[in-house]
This record gives sequence, structure tokens and C-alpha cells, in this order.
Amino acid sequence: MSFQDINVLQPERARFVGIENWINGIQDPLFWKALFNILYNQSIFIALTFVISLGMALLLKEITAGAGIFRTIYFLPVITSIAVAMIIFEFLASPNGPVQRIMMSVGLLDGPVFWTFSKWLPMPLLAIFNSWKWFAVQMMIFLGGLLTINKELYEAARVDGASWWTQFFRITLPLLKPQILFVMTMNVINGMQMFTEVFMIFDLQGGPYHAGLTPVLYLYKTGFDDMSMGYAATLGLLLAVVILILTTIQWKLINRHGES
Amino acid sequence: MFNIRWSKIAIYSVLILGSVIVMYPFFIMVMNSFKPGTEIMHYPLSLPQNWTISGYVKVFTTLNMGVLFKNSLIISVSVTILNVILNAMVAYALAKLHFPGRDIIFKVVLGSMMIPAILLLIPTYTMLYNWGWVNTYRVMIIPVAVSAYNIFLIRQFLIQIPNDYLEAARMDGCNEIQVFYKIVLPMIKPVLATVGILTFMHSWNDLFMALLYLRDESMYTLQLGLYQFKEVIPGRFLEQLWAATTLVTVPVVIVFFFLQRYFIEAFTGVGLK
Repeated sequence: MSFQDINVLQPERARFVGIENWINGIQDPLFWKALFNILYNQSIFIALTFVISLGMALLLKEITAGAGIFRTIYFLPVITSIAVAMIIFEFLASPNGPVQRIMMSVGLLDGPVFWTFSKWLPMPLLAIFNSWKWFAVQMMIFLGGLLTINKELYEAARVDGASWWTQFFRITLPLLKPQILFVMTMNVINGMQMFTEVFMIFDLQGGPYHAGLTPVLYLYKTGFDDMSMGYAATLGLLLAVVILILTTIQWKLINRHGES
Repeated sequence: MFNIRWSKIAIYSVLILGSVIVMYPFFIMVMNSFKPGTEIMHYPLSLPQNWTISGYVKVFTTLNMGVLFKNSLIISVSVTILNVILNAMVAYALAKLHFPGRDIIFKVVLGSMMIPAILLLIPTYTMLYNWGWVNTYRVMIIPVAVSAYNIFLIRQFLIQIPNDYLEAARMDGCNEIQVFYKIVLPMIKPVLATVGILTFMHSWNDLFMALLYLRDESMYTLQLGLYQFKEVIPGRFLEQLWAATTLVTVPVVIVFFFLQRYFIEAFTGVGLK
């Protein structure tokens, strides 16, 4: 399909265009803008959730009473639909909403911020909110990993006089490598395909400055709004190539880290 | 001793603070659904001063909640039942039966998990459109009736079951289908519950597929109805919007509380392989 100019409604008029779609795709500034946006978003999201979920997992490991209650509570955002979550988020973060009011009343903010009209704010705010929504999944995976680590290793380290941080970097992190690798791979595969979040808040253009445009949003617009399916299929393939490259780099990086 | 107690207190404080942050948006959601519209606009921080359920009452007339609920239920329940039965059957074949090409088939199933869904979006859509499936229930059900991830999850569970049980049953004269229904299915209930809730949640919360494939308002699911409602009249009917979001969220929360033990275990197990 990526070598054709196709409109689903008139399949008889499809014509073969060779690699034209691919050339257009590679030269399309909006596609790269969308790709940049999602990378911007994901780098913040991945770093933030990693710290939060690993931190929370470490704390949950230490307690026994009430751990189940905390896990259940932390899972509530995960089971909420993205559509509902985005309605809540838009209200919370709106210039008139609770979060900005609180921040203004304690002097963190001078005036209301219309972040949906801003060039740089939408992606970080979405990343922060998505950390709220998804951290529990990663936390549970890390917790599962932490509980399998042999306690004697820590005993031995403590006898040798290793500090908490040394134990963390020398024992916990290396032994958590399978979980970290799994989480990071899933992050890239899922995160690069973000759609509903931005679709709920911004229109198909991704809002002013295309600050909320993501590759899947752009692909949806090309295929189902502009009705050029062939080009949309090409964009999908391009995105898949990017995801593949990123995942490979990640595996290489984390694997090398573990061995050194 | 003193030290340990203080560190416990610190840990619990952080965990409780985390819970408050996690719960706060839900608290706001439920509180807003009981406020009159103007109060939501002007006093976002306060508790409802004039409690009202008019949002809940009106939302059933403006948003056609009955139809949306019906559609969402038909789709989610069918998808869940099909996934549990079909994936269990596939996983059983892949884990416990011997036939030529089995390992290759399993590798293909695993490999398909790694392919980004986005790659298949346009070809799948074109195909289903040409079959005339757009705007039917089956377009929301049949393409997602089998999932590689679920097959993998169930298979991991099945291979832990000793073959002796199955052999004993076969000795007693059970055929393969009886072995599957009488012996295997009861033994893998926990993982089936997990698959069930994951699938139900995913299907119930899905907006993307509904957006692609459903055209008539009479076919809309809850999520799609909610999206349309939010888009068409921004800033109006606020109390109804919040009542609707609460109503959409409640069913998954209920399912979650009944099955959460399995559900959380599922997430713990996935990374371990």
C-alpha cells in the first residue's frame, strides 16, 4: 500500500506511485515535528515514571501491613480510561482549575497559564500526567523483581559495610535488569503510539504550533481526514522503523551497562 | 529499634502522600458530578455547596446513556468471553499438544507481539472497510478476539501444570476436548481471570477503535459518546459531563475491586518470563 495513492472510498482509482510516498514522508516537516514532540514527551515521561515507580516499589517492599491497600489505590489511574483521565486532567490543569489556583495561592505561579496555547508546555504536562496514570504498572513489575532478589546478598553487603546507595547500585539495579529492559521496551512501543491523550485535548492539527501533534495523530489525520491511505500507510511504516531503531539502541545500551 | 520505627513512619508518610495525590483527581471528579454547573466553573476547589444529582438525571436524556451502556457492554463482554475461551484453547494446543510446526507457530505468535500496532492500522482498516464491516458490532469484536499477549500469558501458566494430570485423564478414557474442559480449564482459573479483566478493561476503555469503525450514534460506545459530548459543547453542561465521566469509570472500578488480586499478580509476573 505504501507504494500507492489510495482513497478507501474510491478503491478503483488507486494508482501506483512508486516511492513517491516514501520521499514525501521523509521530507514532511509535520511528520518530523510529530516525532520530535513524542520524543520530547517520552524522554520526560520515561525518566519521571522510572524514578517514581522504582522509588515507590522500594518503599512498598519495606512494609507488610497495608501494602495491598496502597497497591490497589495506586492502580486506580491505570484502570481509568484515557478519555476520562484527559477530561479530569484538562479540568485540573486549566487556567481556572484547582492546580493552578493552589499554585497561585502559595506564590509558585504569578498568573494563570494557558498551557494548551503554548509552544513548549503541552508535552511536559502530558508527561507528568501520564506518570500519574501509568506509574503503578511499572511499580508492580519492579516490585515483582525486587521480591525475587536473594536477601542474603544484602546481608553480605551489610556485613562488608556497604552503604544503602552502594547496595542499590551494586545489587538492586543490576539484578533488576530484566524488569528494567522489559519496562523500557514497552514504554517505547506504547509511548510512541500515543493518540487518545492528545486527540482528547487538541484537534487533529495538534493545537497551536502543532505542539500536541503526535505521529499517530498525524497518521490518523492523513488517512481518515485527508483520505490519503497510501501515504498514511507509509507514515506507519516509517514510524515502525523508528520504533525498531530506538528499541535496538535501548537493548544495546542497557545490556552493555549491565555487563561492565 | 528507635531508628527502624522512624524509618517506618517516613515510609508510610510517603506512601500515604502518594495515595492522596493519586486519589485527588478522582475525588474532584466525583465531587464535581454533584455540583451545579456554575459552581464547577467558579469554585473548582471547594466541596459542593449545593449538592445535586441533576447532572446524573439529565445526562440520561442528553447523552442517551442507555444506548451507550448497551453498546459498550455488548462489545466488551463479547470480546472478553471470546478472548478467554479462544486464547485458552490456542495456549493449550501450544503448551500441551504435540504436532508438527508447533514451535514455529509459537514463535510467530511471540513475534507478532513485537510488531507495533500502528503498522497494521491502515491495511486492517482498508480490509475491514472493503468487507463492509465498518459500523457493525463485529468490527469491534472479531479482530480483537484473539491476542498474542493473552496466549503467551496463559501458556506460561499451563506449562507449569504437570503432564501427569492430563495423562491420567486420558487413561481414564477422556478425549482431548474433555481433558481440556474438565481438567485444564478449572486448573487455570486464576490466569483466565487475569486475561478476562485485562481484556475487559482494555475493550471498555478503548476510544481509538470506536473512533475508526463506528459511525452511527446508535452504535457509539461510552468512550466515543463521552468524547463527542465533550467536543460538541465545550464548557456547557458541565455537571452532566462530570456525571458521565463518573458513570463511565464506576463499572471498571467495580470489576477491578472484585478481581484485583489476580489483576495485580498479572502485572507482577509479566516481566519475569
